[in-house]
Amino acid sequence: MNDLKYVGKPSVRIDGKEKISGATKYTEDIEYGPNLHYAAIVESTEAHAKIVNIDTSEAEKVSGVVGIYTGKDFPFKFGLYMKDRFIFAMDTVNYVGQQIAAVVARDEKTAQKAAKLVKVKYEPLPAIFDQMEAFKDDATIIHPNLGNYEHVPWFFPQANTNIAHWRKTRRGDVKKGFDDADFILEDNYSVPRYSHCPLENHAAVGLCDLSDRLTIWASSQSPHTQRNLFAESLAPLGFSHKDIRVIAPPIGGGFGGKAGVSMEILAAALATKVKGKPIKILWSREQEFYNTSQRQGLLAKIKIGAKKDGTFTAIDHRLYWDTGASAEYGANVVNAVGLSAIGPYRFKNISIDSVCLYTNLPPCGAYRGFGYSEFMFGLESHINRIANELNIDPVEIRKKNAIRENDTLAYGVAMNPNGLLECIDKVAEKIKWKEKHKTKDINTKVGKGFSLIWKAPAMPPNASSAAFLKFSEDGSINILVSGMDMGQGYLTVMAQIAAEILKVPLSKIRTENPDTDRNPYEWQTVASHVTWSCGNAVRKAAINARNQIFDVVSRTLYLSKDMLYLEDEKVKCKTKKNFELPLKDFVINGIQAEDSTFKGGPIMGHGLFMPEYTSANSDPETSQGGHPNVHYTVGAAAISLEVDKDTGEIHIEKAVEAIDVGKAINPSLVNGQITGGLLQGLATVLYEDMRFDDKGKMLNPNFTDYKIPTAKDVPDEIVPIIVEVPQPDGPFGARGVGEHTMIPAAPMIANAVDDALGIRIKSMPITKEKIALTYLKKEK
Amino acid sequence: MAILNDFEYKKPKELDVALSLLSSHHEKAKILAGGTDLVVYLKEDILQPKLIIDIKGLSDLNKIEISDDYITIGAGVTFTDIIESKNIKEKLPILYQASESVASIGIRNRATVVGNICSAVPSLDSAPALLVYDSYVLTQNKSSKRSISIHDWFTGPKKTTLKPDELVLGIKIPVIKHTGVYEKLGRYKGEDLAQAGIGIMVYDTNKYRIAHCAVGPIPKRMKKLEDFLNGKEISNEVVTKAKKIITEEIFPISDIRSSAEYRSHMMKVMFERGLKKSIARAKGGKS
Repeated sequence: MNDLKYVGKPSVRIDGKEKISGATKYTEDIEYGPNLHYAAIVESTEAHAKIVNIDTSEAEKVSGVVGIYTGKDFPFKFGLYMKDRFIFAMDTVNYVGQQIAAVVARDEKTAQKAAKLVKVKYEPLPAIFDQMEAFKDDATIIHPNLGNYEHVPWFFPQANTNIAHWRKTRRGDVKKGFDDADFILEDNYSVPRYSHCPLENHAAVGLCDLSDRLTIWASSQSPHTQRNLFAESLAPLGFSHKDIRVIAPPIGGGFGGKAGVSMEILAAALATKVKGKPIKILWSREQEFYNTSQRQGLLAKIKIGAKKDGTFTAIDHRLYWDTGASAEYGANVVNAVGLSAIGPYRFKNISIDSVCLYTNLPPCGAYRGFGYSEFMFGLESHINRIANELNIDPVEIRKKNAIRENDTLAYGVAMNPNGLLECIDKVAEKIKWKEKHKTKDINTKVGKGFSLIWKAPAMPPNASSAAFLKFSEDGSINILVSGMDMGQGYLTVMAQIAAEILKVPLSKIRTENPDTDRNPYEWQTVASHVTWSCGNAVRKAAINARNQIFDVVSRTLYLSKDMLYLEDEKVKCKTKKNFELPLKDFVINGIQAEDSTFKGGPIMGHGLFMPEYTSANSDPETSQGGHPNVHYTVGAAAISLEVDKDTGEIHIEKAVEAIDVGKAINPSLVNGQITGGLLQGLATVLYEDMRFDDKGKMLNPNFTDYKIPTAKDVPDEIVPIIVEVPQPDGPFGARGVGEHTMIPAAPMIANAVDDALGIRIKSMPITKEKIALTYLKKEK
Repeated sequence: MAILNDFEYKKPKELDVALSLLSSHHEKAKILAGGTDLVVYLKEDILQPKLIIDIKGLSDLNKIEISDDYITIGAGVTFTDIIESKNIKEKLPILYQASESVASIGIRNRATVVGNICSAVPSLDSAPALLVYDSYVLTQNKSSKRSISIHDWFTGPKKTTLKPDELVLGIKIPVIKHTGVYEKLGRYKGEDLAQAGIGIMVYDTNKYRIAHCAVGPIPKRMKKLEDFLNGKEISNEVVTKAKKIITEEIFPISDIRSSAEYRSHMMKVMFERGLKKSIARAKGGKS
């Protein structure tokens, strides 16, 4: 692998020029023609209520209004893992901001004006805004029909409760583990809801032509999955998959918020009612906050036992998730954590309960980290406290218990090869863990914090990727795949993989975002899996094309296939030094034989990848017996900060993060992920906080009061470290890295604040206010 | 979001025209200068004016006028204009510092100081400076002019003494030799509305003027604190006693941005640090 020419190089993004020149057309920018119509949404003002009446009479009178549609027009359910949502609210509303009706009009202003005239009469029902309230036996039931919902076989919803899913994992003997412990620490940690805040809000345009061909343009992470969900949901109207086409233009950020289906279903549904006219729906920044999907809130109860020497003996981890009004995606976050909440540690005695609870807050779903950021806040805080109590260095206790290759995971499968210990050592060295630096300012104290990183892709066992690869006359290549580049550099990485196999430079390879009609299947761009999964498909497609090339050269020019190889866009032969045939001479038009006929033809590679060793089936009481995850990516991170004891303000001097990516196909893109992800994580711990009033209405759906960091708030120095212990089934050894980068941010801040001021904050966010007031109380 | 309300837009070149438009429309007209508040209110459909009078065409109002005793800031002067004025940086350092803390560069390029005091939100950054400077707000309607003390200007949250037919022409600030600071509490280093703010002015021999914003319904001078401090050399003992007085003069609320407890605590911290900074500056010989 030392002779790699394109893989492992910090190539410039292949879509860079398109982005910086402004050539990129996002969903909103595309020209949809003079028939374009707009939809405005009538939203619920109640958190939980029966809809008594919807009066559209005044709105209908507004000139320019084409139609007003409500739940009655689309009595269809949808959902990714569980069908628990309607397109519009039917008889009841379950959260403030839920869509009740849509007004379609000739222009945006008319649609919005008319939407304001739709009057909805409600009969309020008791509402629940706290998952622990939802968990109570006598709680109001938010989904009375839960027992009848369709769902994937690995979910366990409990009828007549608010429990959408309960993942139980049991291994070893937990009671004995705690009996054997010299020290047990038990405590609770809480994490609020968060919002993705992509630069580009959700946007979708639907067009159903007069022949019932339905096309949806959407700012999306999941074009094929969206097509599948549209087809399932709209099947009663006569649509099948072949009739539905999802075009996914470049997107301005996803972070999980554009995974699955949320508002896009409205564009698909409304288009079927106003045929021949494209209908555009743009979410405002406010709607982006309260009616897409949010990151779930969490209350985690952690109990860990340890020997005097720091060896962990048992873990009992109970996690209660606030999934909001719909669990169709969020329940899989709960599931993933229920299988992995041991963190990157060797535990022999394990009990995990991960419980997904409906509330009357907006629906939650995927968010970069998929539950791991949330539970690692508690777990990595807890482990630091155990280390302090036992008088063991926090880095040493982590090394002592760190998971190794072939250790048994919570669900009974062997851990993959990994460089966790190497990551820990490199981070400790770079942050100068043992040294305490000094501060000149008498108001500030210094502290350091450490955290490990741990995450597996959460996917259905049969999630797959596919790729087409085709040559043109000049030997340049178009790769057709259906993953989404949303800033992470996926398109560039796919091109690098193909370049390496086919020895064609990146400048001659184009890869673009997909159209489900033309591009082959991809499950979704989520779970940090596309480099690994789609990368395998592209690699196979390139190998497939290479085989076709060798085949035609071999049978036409009588050269042994085994002796052929590619170099500098040419076919060469190991046994015939002076032989070279440029690819451009034959990849479309074939090779002319001695009898002047032509052999071969356009070279088109295809490849697919499905992890054929995974299974989601296991014992519901213990989660033993299946193989739910493909691999874990691990790493370590540390931070060095100064905190003002009076104001609580934190100044981060240095952050170091090391991740074992298996193989960095493009190291500069990996470094970009580490920097960006870390900053996103720091935002969640230091500033961001979704707040709701006592009626369930979000109080800060704006950047005035939902703060994300500016350039001024970036740490002085961020040191990314790449560790490479190859993933056996990854393309060139690569495994996922995108989400992992933000996971250590929250616990390492909590640990550093404790180190600096001797205060332990157990709820996120750790704002300057919380630090100052906690310290003030301690000093009194 | 589209602006749903329909309105007329006028951009007069003469002050007389602007004033007669105001007198014929009263509350139905809204003045547009920077628009950083107005346009948000229009987009959110909070205001539904019939007429928008853009005063950026009134070139006389776009000036900072400097004399020996006064500096007058016209209604069209933006925060960026203030930051870029050498005279203001030298002669009105507290206003300069407050202006630098307003929002972000993009907003400061449009937002005006006069617009700031007309919005009269309790958190307005320019208020503590204008209060410690004993400034005057210059207004005019069709028939007369007024010069209103800044101390009488704010009447409640988002309320001022300005009459519907009056236009603010500018703010007149007396110039005296001093040092001082504006200390602001925000949630991060990026742009933020003040959760608490304090302007501190040190002049003559041991004379002090202090004003707050965001810790009461209107920004205000802290007279009890000033009375206690005036004539005193600053020592740790004096500061400790002074901090106790602060709580008597502020009425912070708890809201999504901050708790009353943290606002109170931070007023004391900012007072102490700000005062020490101001005195260090005075001793450093800088004005």
